[in-house]
Amino acid sequence: MTEGLRYRPAEGRFDEAVAPDGAVRPAWRSVAGLLAEGRRGELLERQRQADRMLDAEGAGHLVHDLGGATGLPASTPWRLDPVPIVLGEEEFDLLAAAVEQRSRALEAVLIDLHGPRRLLREGIIPAGALAATSALRMSAIGQSVPRWLVHHAVDVVRAADGSWRVVGDLTDSPTGLGYALLNRSVMARVMADPLRESSTAALVQAPTVLRRALAALAPGGRADSRTVVLSGGPDHPSYVEQSYLAVQMGLHLAEGADLVVRQHRVWLRALDALEPIDVVYRRVDDRGLDPLEVRAAGTQGVPAITWAARAGGVALANAFGSGVVESTVVGDGMADAARLLLGEELLLPAWRASDDLATTPLFDTATGFVPCRVVVRLHAVIGPSGVWVLPGGAGRVLRDGDHPAEPTAQRAKDVWVAGAGPSTRTRAPVVVPAQVDFGGSVPKRVADSLYWTGRAAERAEVAARAARVVEGQLDQDPDLVSVGDGGWVRGATALLRAAQGLSPVDATATAPWVDRLAAESAATRAVIVEQLGSLVREGSSVRQFLSSTTGRVLGRLTRVGSDLLRADAAVDDLDMLLVDLAALAGLAMESTVRGPAWRFLDLGRRLERALALLGAVEATVGAEIDGPAVQPVVEALLAANESLVAYRRRYRSEIELDALVDLLVRDDTNPRGLAFQLDRIREHVSSLGWPEGVALVDAAARALLAGVDPAVVGGRRVGLDALVLAARGPLLELDAAVVVRWFADPVNPVPMGQR
Amino acid sequence: MSSPAADVVPGPELRFEVVHRTEYRYGKPMVDGYTVAHLLPRDTPWQTVETSEVLVEPGYDERTEHVDAFGNRAIRLGVHRPHDHLVLTGRSTVRVRVPVIDLHQPAGSPPWDEVAALLRAARGDIAVEVGSFVAATGSTPVSAELDELTGDLFVPGRPLLDVVAQLSARIHTALEFDPAFSDVSTPLTEVLRARRGVCQDFAHLMLAALRGHGLAARYVSGYLETDPPPGQPKLAGTDASHAWCGVWDPVLGWFDVDPTNDQLPPRRHVTCAWGRDYFDVAPVRGVVIGPVASQSLRVGVDVTALTVSP
Repeated sequence: MTEGLRYRPAEGRFDEAVAPDGAVRPAWRSVAGLLAEGRRGELLERQRQADRMLDAEGAGHLVHDLGGATGLPASTPWRLDPVPIVLGEEEFDLLAAAVEQRSRALEAVLIDLHGPRRLLREGIIPAGALAATSALRMSAIGQSVPRWLVHHAVDVVRAADGSWRVVGDLTDSPTGLGYALLNRSVMARVMADPLRESSTAALVQAPTVLRRALAALAPGGRADSRTVVLSGGPDHPSYVEQSYLAVQMGLHLAEGADLVVRQHRVWLRALDALEPIDVVYRRVDDRGLDPLEVRAAGTQGVPAITWAARAGGVALANAFGSGVVESTVVGDGMADAARLLLGEELLLPAWRASDDLATTPLFDTATGFVPCRVVVRLHAVIGPSGVWVLPGGAGRVLRDGDHPAEPTAQRAKDVWVAGAGPSTRTRAPVVVPAQVDFGGSVPKRVADSLYWTGRAAERAEVAARAARVVEGQLDQDPDLVSVGDGGWVRGATALLRAAQGLSPVDATATAPWVDRLAAESAATRAVIVEQLGSLVREGSSVRQFLSSTTGRVLGRLTRVGSDLLRADAAVDDLDMLLVDLAALAGLAMESTVRGPAWRFLDLGRRLERALALLGAVEATVGAEIDGPAVQPVVEALLAANESLVAYRRRYRSEIELDALVDLLVRDDTNPRGLAFQLDRIREHVSSLGWPEGVALVDAAARALLAGVDPAVVGGRRVGLDALVLAARGPLLELDAAVVVRWFADPVNPVPMGQR
Repeated sequence: MSSPAADVVPGPELRFEVVHRTEYRYGKPMVDGYTVAHLLPRDTPWQTVETSEVLVEPGYDERTEHVDAFGNRAIRLGVHRPHDHLVLTGRSTVRVRVPVIDLHQPAGSPPWDEVAALLRAARGDIAVEVGSFVAATGSTPVSAELDELTGDLFVPGRPLLDVVAQLSARIHTALEFDPAFSDVSTPLTEVLRARRGVCQDFAHLMLAALRGHGLAARYVSGYLETDPPPGQPKLAGTDASHAWCGVWDPVLGWFDVDPTNDQLPPRRHVTCAWGRDYFDVAPVRGVVIGPVASQSLRVGVDVTALTVSP
């Protein structure tokens, strides 16, 4: 079997893929072909594909460190190895039994430590050492919970002799289930054939199993219970998997500020009311859960959520205090604890620092296959009918010197249980619990973020288009700078300033106009980058309301944005950016479910476009322009608003102010025109049932009906200025009113002083 | 925080009324407020609470009273309406019978290192009830500076009571009481460096030293009756909440010591609550949710000696 294998395992220690006699292990047969000579190019392609797909899920732009030097997220993706870790079904069953046993044992330990404390009385866990762990929550002692652990993860390693060892348990807020599912969704595309040929167990039922286990916790067995996933927000290192898991389960991804505790219940701050929540699957660790109960929580979390849980008004999964069994003082006593509380011997021994580890093949794009050491994270979901162990998991590659609990290599491996599927295990009938439809329910924070996502996207587009048009005009005809006694330069500068949201003329500037134009051009690019930063930030925090492809576009925008500030950035970069922004706009229109969430997204975009258009009109044709400059300035205005072709087709004549105002301002069939935006805005605010909003849109619309006085006073077309002013006023009021009416809610907990 | 008491005369039984007022004012109305209060004194083997209540202005929307993991009476309040102030007034009457500890007969107390050994191997009720008071907390860390100040007192074989009495004297002498120096967030290392602090720092320092040697000690929060300057009437609100330590002895059980005033046992003290350190038993802690606004805090305490009723 070794014929043609490009992989040579290390001597003298167990290898996952290859037996000591050199034969490929049976479970690996379907994968072994890829380890053969001549398949390297193919694997490289698979690796690239895997990278791209993870990127689309946000792994490339959402992981860690939002807000680098440029204001754009720094990207630290993990990389998924196309070569999985393959385990035979029988071997996995042993692991699954050990995980199941640990779940039961840890539940028993948690019950004991917060109740009778036999483990302390018998000296199995030293009381002093336990109290010294920062994971012990005194306020959890004595609480009765429906279940301490609903989701439990175990890190295991295979020792060099082939036996499995337990590195540790994750019980507070275990990470990795979402990553395992995400990795598998990528592998299902990248490694479809080997996956099928090896009859690998599917993981698709995991979200349903977890959701069902969560729903079963609902206090008083509430039948129409609601569960939310409590996330640490886009800045949390595992936000990608939090949002992925929430989407897979069809649950709201809430942040601390979305929830409030009153009358011992947890409520979601939805747009128009507080909506009761029964179960919280928390993905923030208990240090950051409740600033009233944990000293270090500061201003994170949901104040009093642990009170509500203790009073039985809400169920937390895992329960507050579950993290204590992650500590080494409990780990050291686990074998004795299992004996005392369950009367069982632990199936797997603990890993010791002296244990050497087995190897498995890793695909290295530079050198081919190399043996590497891995730690494998397994997951258990505990529900009313017992412990369910995910038939798979995620392996993480260990660098030399890594402690298995803290791998530093950003390389992941999918874990396959071969020969197990499709089988009864994957086809088990899945009962979906009753669940309130979330279609109409939008948390205030989500509406807020969507609104600003829309505004930032549009502002970035407006700025990119203005910069593109001005720079393009200049590229084609460098002589423009002298046209119309500098009229074009003044108009172009004003257009760029308007695109940045600034007044048309900088009264304090004294530099020559040509220098000012160059400066405004650079400043406009900076605004684009800044707006892309807020777009990605705001968009990332609400990605579950956007289509999944949107994630990929956000990832691209992150990269394109950072290119814009390069010294050699060209007009072409702006074109690329405009294509991506158009894709984003298209996705918003074509791939987003129409509901209040979408309305706020589009409302933000429309309002921004309307304001930007008024600014552009004021900046360019609001001023009297010298004869020869009229044509290029007006063309810039039209092109920046994608209306140049329409104008030429319709009028085929010299530029006329009336015609221009008609097309850009009054024509309700021009999707870049003001009237069109006002119609959309009116639809949105009416649909929200908001008369004050409708009145403000109507006030803006009335301003468009007045005739435009052609008089020029002090170099300004006073009629146009009046129109802009009359339309802009109500729109700015509308913007302020949206914030007050729909978003404004004080949500940051502040500690009360102490003495 | 109270200043060191003048010399006091111990009495067999005392009665006190305690009024503890905590007033928060916010520059703008807060929407939600959550408060945990340890303002209701607990019964102890030497203290009986006759009456106790906590009044809340301007009111609350939820209120529960429960006994926490240390046996203290804790009140949880939720205010869910706009409020620009919150005033909590705890009012209680307690009867205290000061335990008599003969410091001239410390031989009745076992050597401190034997107590530490006993605690290390603790089983049964001792493990559960005393074990958690052996561990250092964030507020009671051991350090080289601390060891330099107190380490020489832990002579092997010396009776625990003796060690505690000398430790109290040492800390009392070494630290200057200075209410202006520290607040609840001042770390112990800074207190040690400056050699000044408030009663809370004296207590934390003592806890750190005892726990650092494997002994069980707890933070006690309460009140101290103080005398007005000679010839002047006692002014309202001039007292303060106070803090001292409890130490576990296998023979004596828990006994108290006040390092701020170097009193063993403390003689004019009313116990409110105890825990591992200040943060377990802060008289009032909480969070508010609302607009960004200024916040002010005023605290006033009155401890009045009452006649012991027949």
